[in-house]
Amino acid sequence: MGRYILRRMGFYLIAAWASLTLNFIIPRLAPGDPAAAMFARFEGKVAPEAMGALKAAFGFTDAPLYAQYFTYLKHLVQGDLGMSYAYFPARVTEVIGTGLMWTVALAGVAVIISFVVGSFLGVLAAWNRGGWLDSGLAPALAFLGAFPYFWLAMLALYLFGFVLGWFPLRHAYGHDMEPGLSFAFAADVARHAVLPASSIVVATLGGWMLGMRNTMVATLGTDSIRLAHARGLPPRQVMLRYAARNALLPNVTSFGMAVGFVLSGSLLTEIVFSYPGTGYLLILAVRNQDYPLMQGLFLVITLAVLAANFAVDLICLWLDPRTRAHA
Amino acid sequence: MRDFLRRLSRHRKAAVGGSLLVFFLLLAVVGPFFVMDPTDLVGRPHQPPSAAHWFGTTGQGQDVLAQTVVGARETLAVGFAVGALVTLVGALVGVTAGYLGRRVDDVLSLTTNVFLVIPGMPLAIVLGAYLPSGPLRMVAVLTVAGWAWNARVFRAESLALRGRDFVSAAVVTGESHSRIVSRELLPNMASLLGSSFIGNTLYAVGAQVGLEFLGLGDVSAVTWGTNLYWAGNDAALLTRSWWIFVPTGMCIALVGFALTLVSSAIDEMTNPALRVHKAAPLPATPAPRSHLERPVPGVLLRVEDLCIDYATEKGPSRVVDSVSFDVAPGEVFGLAGESGSGKSTIGSALLGLLPASARVTQGRILFNGMDVTALEGPALRAFRWRQVSMVFQSAMSALNPVLTLGEQFHDTLAAHGRVSRGTSYARARELLGMVGLSPDLVTAWPHQLSGGMRQRVGIALALALEPRLIIMDEPTTALDVVVQKELLQRMVELKQRLGFAMLFITHDLPLLLALSDRVGVLQGGKLVEVDTSTNLRTGARHPYTQLLLSSFPHLSAKDAAPAAQPVQTPELSVSRPSTRVAAIPGGHR
Repeated sequence: MGRYILRRMGFYLIAAWASLTLNFIIPRLAPGDPAAAMFARFEGKVAPEAMGALKAAFGFTDAPLYAQYFTYLKHLVQGDLGMSYAYFPARVTEVIGTGLMWTVALAGVAVIISFVVGSFLGVLAAWNRGGWLDSGLAPALAFLGAFPYFWLAMLALYLFGFVLGWFPLRHAYGHDMEPGLSFAFAADVARHAVLPASSIVVATLGGWMLGMRNTMVATLGTDSIRLAHARGLPPRQVMLRYAARNALLPNVTSFGMAVGFVLSGSLLTEIVFSYPGTGYLLILAVRNQDYPLMQGLFLVITLAVLAANFAVDLICLWLDPRTRAHA
Repeated sequence: MRDFLRRLSRHRKAAVGGSLLVFFLLLAVVGPFFVMDPTDLVGRPHQPPSAAHWFGTTGQGQDVLAQTVVGARETLAVGFAVGALVTLVGALVGVTAGYLGRRVDDVLSLTTNVFLVIPGMPLAIVLGAYLPSGPLRMVAVLTVAGWAWNARVFRAESLALRGRDFVSAAVVTGESHSRIVSRELLPNMASLLGSSFIGNTLYAVGAQVGLEFLGLGDVSAVTWGTNLYWAGNDAALLTRSWWIFVPTGMCIALVGFALTLVSSAIDEMTNPALRVHKAAPLPATPAPRSHLERPVPGVLLRVEDLCIDYATEKGPSRVVDSVSFDVAPGEVFGLAGESGSGKSTIGSALLGLLPASARVTQGRILFNGMDVTALEGPALRAFRWRQVSMVFQSAMSALNPVLTLGEQFHDTLAAHGRVSRGTSYARARELLGMVGLSPDLVTAWPHQLSGGMRQRVGIALALALEPRLIIMDEPTTALDVVVQKELLQRMVELKQRLGFAMLFITHDLPLLLALSDRVGVLQGGKLVEVDTSTNLRTGARHPYTQLLLSSFPHLSAKDAAPAAQPVQTPELSVSRPSTRVAAIPGGHR
């Protein structure tokens, strides 16, 4: 078991290193000179003699590539992602910090709700195969899943925000609120999260439901279920403890793989609601050509996804006695 | 392949999805000739649908219908191009890794897995921000961000094919790698290539629209993504102009839905288990004459004129045909027959375990005077295991892999009366001891046991409620000869001690003759001969029985005879998880 965890950690370290390196290579391979374009924006804002120092701070120097790479890695290890251009002179880490919190809260809650509810619907659909859940709700949700997340977000915002006025239109909390640990603030945050979160849930529910339904159908055909029925176990116990518990395993694995994908979609949802998470920051960074912030965000989002994947690995380990033993 | 396409065209999902796709392709190709120029400012901005502009106007005064129709062209072109490219790259990397194996596979798999965990959209955004704008940028960015998943699928598939005989044969005969890949591997991946292409196109359309919505496409081009980008920028929501973004979204969803339908149709055709069978309906079960009869003394189980039909696509198929036999209390009755003779179906029917596609169409099964075929719901569940239990052929896979043995015993006991966990576990230890296993195995998981041990657990489980009849459905087929013998001896001893009757189902007639009091021989669903073992051994009358007798080596008949001395049980320990799987006689896995 310890060896398995170490192996997975090794893999995620390699993946983290790969994304760090991609992050270093992409701007330097790009045609044209994005660094020059970026620093052109600083002209006039910064004293000419400070430009050299600034370039160095961003890691663009005339030093050979490998030296630049090591400087880059050294800065990263020190938790230094450089300075944001758009929020100059704020450091990238400061800008990202709050955004990451909002994204993790919004996407995390939405993804978990969607996975739990979708999987449970899948269990029921497979158990009553050909019933209304299976032949009515599943295709309907699959159809909803075909809409881009952000489009469902636009529609939800249009209907429940603009037309009906039930929910706030943008941001994570009202501008008249004082952020803090008060009940009023929490309620306001929840009210702001309802529309973005439910549009993510609606867009992804069908996928989880279908995945769980299919593995559940396969599990229901096994002898382990026949034996459970033969022993006279109550149907609900057979459905949950014998079938769903086993059908869940492959779905948790694919849950891990989908985390990045769902996060990508939720980034777009944030933009529709001007929700101050990493997605919103990312697009602002792209529009402002704020390369340091953009790359910092890419790195942080990637590392967050790696962490989520590792967490899912641990959950799988906990759920399946077989991997626990062989690992 | 042609047959596959023909079956695909008859499939309902494929037909709906296919027609939708064709519609949008036509729209993309010829539609733009029939609408106005989508970039012309033809009216006042934010006008709702009218006779002049069926879908209204945009925030700049362009025709929404024209934008929607023209947008299909580049969106679908880029979507299909990326879909094809991603499939190609993924297949190339995956097949190379899976086929060459070793170092190459290590490196390529690692790269693939790394790209798989790096989130695609942020990577695409960062890449897109640095590359010069245009449709080519979109294709490049989406391919880099999306190839990994396919590589993984194709690697798994080519690994599986690599191990198959026809590929190994080609390798042995010294054919070149490129020839083996192009002649042996790729043709066998046709359906995978097809479904991957569709899946990738789905991904490409979605990701492309997302990036363009962010303004990372060419914002002066007319595509579905830029339509939505401009809808957002021109305050479509603020001005309540739903008509600006609804048509485009609908089109994207319909294309996505159509692709999903086609891909799921392909999945269902290649994996029939996912399909809901539309079989011809079966005739209803005959109304039972009476549920309860006075038990006949000396008869525990009476199978009376039993017929069981399976629903197939070609209509009902009779697998058990007018079978009648009795089992006395404490008797060992053997049912012999080849696979497909209906012997296991009879076993399932005794516990009301027939699959949904099978039905008792005639006859009765009387257990102690009670008609089992008429039992339902709680009454059926109370009957199961308490009165009749069963040992499965596949005890290896019949235990729940995520529960310890003790939990599975507890579930069984708790289903038939209130018991505490402590009581259940004590009983489980006792039962495990009875079948010659260490009582400490209550805390073990099924995967820690060998095949023979699991089969013993199956027997212990069958004894848990002290039923009056135990069905043994090929309980030893998957075990090697030595384990088989020990197990049967144990079974005979337990029977003598506890006095239950046994219905022993197997294809091994000599074994049955050594074990049973009486034997029935099934052929094609009909019981062709029933007699005592003694009579059958000396003079089987039916030619089929004679054939079955002569088709087995005589080894098992003598060896399986119950021995007088107690069985030596092998040393069992749980500390070292056993990965040993019992050998299958005559087979090599």
